Amino acid sequence: MHAEQKKLYALLITATTAGYLWLLYHIYFRTQNTDTTVCLVKSITGIACPSCGTTRSILSIFNGNWKAAMYYNPLGLIVLLIMIILPIGLLYDVILKKQTCWTLYKKAEQTLQKKTVAIPLIIVVLANWIWNIYKHV
Amino acid sequence: MDALKADMFIMSYGKYFESHHIVQIRERLLLMDDSKWVLIQSIPLKDPQTSLILSILFGMYGIDRFYIGDTGMGIGKLFTCGGFVIWYIIDCFNIESATRQKNFEKLQQFLY
Repeated sequence: MHAEQKKLYALLITATTAGYLWLLYHIYFRTQNTDTTVCLVKSITGIACPSCGTTRSILSIFNGNWKAAMYYNPLGLIVLLIMIILPIGLLYDVILKKQTCWTLYKKAEQTLQKKTVAIPLIIVVLANWIWNIYKHV
Repeated sequence: MDALKADMFIMSYGKYFESHHIVQIRERLLLMDDSKWVLIQSIPLKDPQTSLILSILFGMYGIDRFYIGDTGMGIGKLFTCGGFVIWYIIDCFNIESATRQKNFEKLQQFLY
């Protein structure tokens, strides 16, 4: 395992742990209706950012309320899937000393940098953002 | 490659790389074939100061990471609201050296 890979794995582990802690905090210490945000952009300008509503979306999925989850932010589903799959992949790599996640990450990066893939995705994210601002998430 | 060309490259692109890489880059440039000179100049190197401005203004959306070609991290920042703001703050300080590192990686493909 070389240095760059170690750095990425450390970052991913930290990020997913932070994500789970954030979710646990919301589940156990906060009622869902309170209107709090960590988002700097939203706190300052009042305009929602592309990922605002992700936490509420994931919490809605936990409650089985798929419609609300999709309404808050469809990104929630993607983030939840990443948060479930990523730790398993990382553990698999670390225990068996393989490089599956690393090679997949590099391949995904190369694919995403192609214009034919990048432009539609940018449009989707922008559309989601505009929807976010429009519905005042 | 003659010393004049190597020095010219270092002079115009010096701030695009970490200072501890400069000596190594110059040595490799001197050993390199002259035919690669055009190739070397056509590498799309990113300006650390541009990425710093992008990081401060649009770092919450991961634009700085996208700019330097770190697409995976960019998506990470975009989806988590600048990594719960913590990552955004870290990147405001870190993005310049990350850019220089990326530039060095790009150049390395031609140096070795």
